[in-house]
Amino acid sequence: MDGTIFLPLMVVIPILCAILVNLLHGTQTITKIIAVIGAICLPVVPLVATYGNSFFGGYAPLIEGGFTASLPDAVNSLVSGTILELFHPAITYSFGPGQQVILFVLGLVAMCAIILSVAETKKTSGVYLYLLFMLSAALMAFTLTDDIFNLYVFFEIAALVQVGLILVSRVKGNYETGLKYMLLGEIGGSFMLLGIGLLLGLTGNVNITDIVMVIHSGAIDPYNPVLLFAAGMLIYGWLYATGLPPFNSIKSEIYSKGLPSGSILLQSFSVIACITIGLIILRIFAYSSTVQMVVLAVSVLAMILGICLAMVQDDYKRIIAYLAVGELGYIGVGLGLGSAYSITAGLFQAVNELMVTSLLFVGFGLVLYKARTSKISKLGGLLEYMPVGALLTVLAGFAMAGVPPFNVFQSKYMLVQAAMVAGIPELAVIMIILSIVTFLAFLRIAYAVFLKPKPEELEVSKSSVPRTSIAIMVILIIVCLVIGLMPDIVVSQLGQLALTTLAI
Amino acid sequence: MVVITVQLGALITAALLMVIGTIALVYFDNVVKKIIGAAFIGDGVNLLLVALGYKAGGISYIFLQNMEVNSFLGQAAYPLSFALVLTSIVIGASTLAVMLALTVVLYKRHGTLSASTLLGDDRMGEDNNE
Repeated sequence: MDGTIFLPLMVVIPILCAILVNLLHGTQTITKIIAVIGAICLPVVPLVATYGNSFFGGYAPLIEGGFTASLPDAVNSLVSGTILELFHPAITYSFGPGQQVILFVLGLVAMCAIILSVAETKKTSGVYLYLLFMLSAALMAFTLTDDIFNLYVFFEIAALVQVGLILVSRVKGNYETGLKYMLLGEIGGSFMLLGIGLLLGLTGNVNITDIVMVIHSGAIDPYNPVLLFAAGMLIYGWLYATGLPPFNSIKSEIYSKGLPSGSILLQSFSVIACITIGLIILRIFAYSSTVQMVVLAVSVLAMILGICLAMVQDDYKRIIAYLAVGELGYIGVGLGLGSAYSITAGLFQAVNELMVTSLLFVGFGLVLYKARTSKISKLGGLLEYMPVGALLTVLAGFAMAGVPPFNVFQSKYMLVQAAMVAGIPELAVIMIILSIVTFLAFLRIAYAVFLKPKPEELEVSKSSVPRTSIAIMVILIIVCLVIGLMPDIVVSQLGQLALTTLAI
Repeated sequence: MVVITVQLGALITAALLMVIGTIALVYFDNVVKKIIGAAFIGDGVNLLLVALGYKAGGISYIFLQNMEVNSFLGQAAYPLSFALVLTSIVIGASTLAVMLALTVVLYKRHGTLSASTLLGDDRMGEDNNE
């Protein structure tokens, strides 16, 4: 059997599950069974799929024999031997070793979020599960697609689903945050579509590989002002999707308004958008040092702002949210440095952050479960009530700060090396200092939540910590440790994606 | 004399829609006006996409048996941008519906449509899980 059949299934399965759980909302048992089976499929399908391309609504390139019907001679003579033979006249999904790693980790994280939602709610909500599955599908499509308009469509679907996830959380101020996010999203999405439209106008294509081919064939001037304007529009869309400055504040707001299971996928969207749209920008505008400089500058700003703002918050959900945005800056730095090694490091950081931030959201979900408040000033002494959960949460915090032997240590080490090789030691110093600050931020949270004496007015729930959350945290920590101790199992595969990105 | 073709006119209108939409979004305090501004931006982009695919005297991109290939290729309008616009309109309508629904809920709760009241930093800062 041709393993590329699994490529569309990575998107189709979560969409089918989303429709089914929504339709069967009233029947609890069936909804749960479908959700769990669908969730397990998410990390498994990328493992069994074969590397290759899948084409929808069209044909493979003519040079690959994609169009089998006979063309009129006049058309043949026009097309034969030209760049047109290489074009992809279809929505193309590309799947290689790098995508496999990213999709597996994404699937693992999405599976954890869905199972967490199923296990820890008395009455499973089909609508909520629908949102989780739809966001998973959008993220899978984001990673696979080689078609920039297809990416835009899933970008908009993801934006709507994100608002849905905030609205169902019932956290105070969720509707206001949702509307604000949508208004900003309308600008971000429209500007991104404008960029896509300009690229289409200049190159006649929406397939990213084809756009790159046209630009590098010399058919259009790479420094055409309209092309550079399109770059600006795409960068704007990238900033909005990832939550890099100036959108860091609203993005952290979004994370803090979600339920733990929802927040896991909300931050996954930012990470996946950061690497997918970032890689597209790099692929198309690799020749422009200005574009790389902008990506690098915004990323450094995001690191500094995210981590500094995290230090002054009193709400631990907000602290994690700001730290998550700050960590996105590390990914952006990897992409912005522009070498194969730095891009690999950036992708590695992205894969690690997917897991580590999810761990923190689950861990602090436990704190919320026990103490019913997220204000650090009102918390304390929880170590006694949830020792295992506290230990796992602190380990997750150390992982995010880049403490060895966890995976983030390896990716941050690679990023520092990449900055040194690029001749920017100042950047390496900034990254090291910010990692130390992140570590201090976690020490502050750990002390305030778990170690300092319990305030008298704090009422701690007597029910035991949900075992599903603990099991999920243990699984993710083990994966983080394994990758931290054997980074080559993912780095070599991500390296191939980085090389493909830079290949012209 | 400057002759404004249909395509140029559409491009100018698209630019105006985007500028007006951005101004409305940034400067108006009324949430409904902001949403209308946001819709203007989306419409401007859609119009730009339509204008990109427009061809004066063009024909639709359907090759019929009795057509001569070179004449067809010379006359046919490029259809991809129109296909994108159709999708974009659907997405825009969904987004607009959700934004307006949220506005209705917020108006019922707070009795105002003032963005500075509804979406201001003071209110946004009310992050409370208790």
